[in-house]
Amino acid sequence: MPKTWRSHVLCAYAMAILAFLYLPLLILALYSFNESRINAVWSGFTLDWYLALFKNRRVLEALTNSLIVAFASTIVSTVLGTTAAIALNKYQYKYKSVINGLLYLPILIPEIVMGLSLLVLFSQAHIPLGKTSLILAHITFCVSFVVITVNARLEGMRPELEQAAMDLYATPFQTFRYVTLPLAMPGIVAGALMAFTLSIDDFIISFFVAGPNSTTLPLYIYAMVKRGISPEINALSTLLMLATIILVIIAQLLQPQHVSKKEE
Amino acid sequence: MKKLLSLLIALVAFAIVGCGGGDKKSDGKGEPQVLNLFSWADNIDPAVIEKFEKENNCKVNYDVFANNEELLAKIQAGGAQYDVIQPSDYMVATMLKLGMLEELNLANIPNVKNIVSNLQAPAYDPTGKHSVVYTWGMTGIVYNKKYIKEAPTSWNDLWKDEYKGRIILLNDNREVIGMALKKNGHSNNSLNPQEVEAAVKDLKQLAPNVLAFDTDTIKQKFIAEEAWIGTMWTGDASYTYKDNKDIGFVIPKEGATIWADTFAIPKGAPHKELAEKFIDFMYDPKISAQNYEYIGYNDPNEKANEFHSEEFKNDPMLKIGRENIDKGEWLTDIGEALTMYDRYWTELKTGK
Repeated sequence: MPKTWRSHVLCAYAMAILAFLYLPLLILALYSFNESRINAVWSGFTLDWYLALFKNRRVLEALTNSLIVAFASTIVSTVLGTTAAIALNKYQYKYKSVINGLLYLPILIPEIVMGLSLLVLFSQAHIPLGKTSLILAHITFCVSFVVITVNARLEGMRPELEQAAMDLYATPFQTFRYVTLPLAMPGIVAGALMAFTLSIDDFIISFFVAGPNSTTLPLYIYAMVKRGISPEINALSTLLMLATIILVIIAQLLQPQHVSKKEE
Repeated sequence: MKKLLSLLIALVAFAIVGCGGGDKKSDGKGEPQVLNLFSWADNIDPAVIEKFEKENNCKVNYDVFANNEELLAKIQAGGAQYDVIQPSDYMVATMLKLGMLEELNLANIPNVKNIVSNLQAPAYDPTGKHSVVYTWGMTGIVYNKKYIKEAPTSWNDLWKDEYKGRIILLNDNREVIGMALKKNGHSNNSLNPQEVEAAVKDLKQLAPNVLAFDTDTIKQKFIAEEAWIGTMWTGDASYTYKDNKDIGFVIPKEGATIWADTFAIPKGAPHKELAEKFIDFMYDPKISAQNYEYIGYNDPNEKANEFHSEEFKNDPMLKIGRENIDKGEWLTDIGEALTMYDRYWTELKTGK
């Protein structure tokens, strides 16, 4: 008896926490289907706001900017991050833990500090603000996340596999190409998806380093709010949220622990 | 391993250069000119911009900021190469002081003459050579006729007890303290500590009755009739009126704050000539008629009047009599006194 009582309370508590986390998002999504221009009253179901979004040239431009920046920074940070993770994992050298720590630091540094310092750097180096500066900034914070995810995968890998390949006369490149890389792939893909998601969602750092022709979706949404929150913003936010959720789910499914369990 | 490493390095270098180069390539393709516009979101009719692009074989990059301070920071940091910016009145004054604005070659912008004469050289830009008024209006009292039968005439009417919990004031220290100063018959730029203190004392009396200090969602609150009375900008009042016909708007007899967003060209703009062409284009009578109908703000263009629809001309929210403009007062740069305003503002909002 007390067991079921306890589980009921636990269940209710869990539900409350979930509601606390997701209710605001649900309400936001709900009002994106509201017929009325104002958020205060519900007047009927409509998809007009979504249609309006796809006819809005500014929104499409912001979307294109977001995608260009996200793809470019994902590709570069995945390559950089993967190589860094492999190096960290494979070799022993002086100050390894220091370098490790330095790689993770960007995750912990307040975004606002990072944004500001990047802005100062760009203006000192006379790099014009725009898509280039934005991509460079996004690569900077994405690399750390790629390193972490790939590293986690590499740590779960048995060194015997690479040794076996070498034993069978595989060259170092062949070992890397046909053993290490395929085994690390789930981690690399998860890291890349993580980088993509972070880049698409980033506001604070982009806020500092964006310039002409580089307004991204989050920056656009922020500026739109100043005009009064309309269902169009809700619709745009809902789509952004959906994209993020899907990417995170895929990244989660590819996380090392899932894959290694299946393999074992 | 070394070979692999150099391969990867080459790959990364290629990717970085590739990304950097992509930007430039699209700029130079087919040589259409580029105009980098830095503005408020949804501040110009997209059809008007498209027309300008077609007529001048150029591409307008429309980037957005959410407040004047953000604009200032971006231009100050350098490196952001915008051609046309849209600072508000007091920000024009600040930027002028900092030497951040290019002098406009008015010979290239003949349509500036179409602007109502008393908006051509406003207090924040006395020569009228560094900025051009774009959207302008006044801060007045908005109210709902359903709940407030007698139209307010004075700022004092906000202090009536029956409006408890139904009042909204703008979330802006200069606007709110300036309003109370006006109520007491002073300048909204008062530097006199006694006057400001008295104004704040009155506001503290009003504060418990205030539903919210709000600028961003004030329209929604009036449309949904959560709020009955408050301070609002003319353009927002017009927007609100479209969704709720019970809305009324008055400019109190004591006079009110007059404000404007402008067009200006920042120092070192890469495409100044095209920027001036763009500003001139925006004040073409037909174009400005189309544009202001879209954005729903007062058209400063006198020549555009004949092209405006009856609905726009008769919008009660946008009717600002000339006597009100003359009685209106711009918020100007108050220098050091801003700290005093800021301190009082924090006190007001924290209910001290």
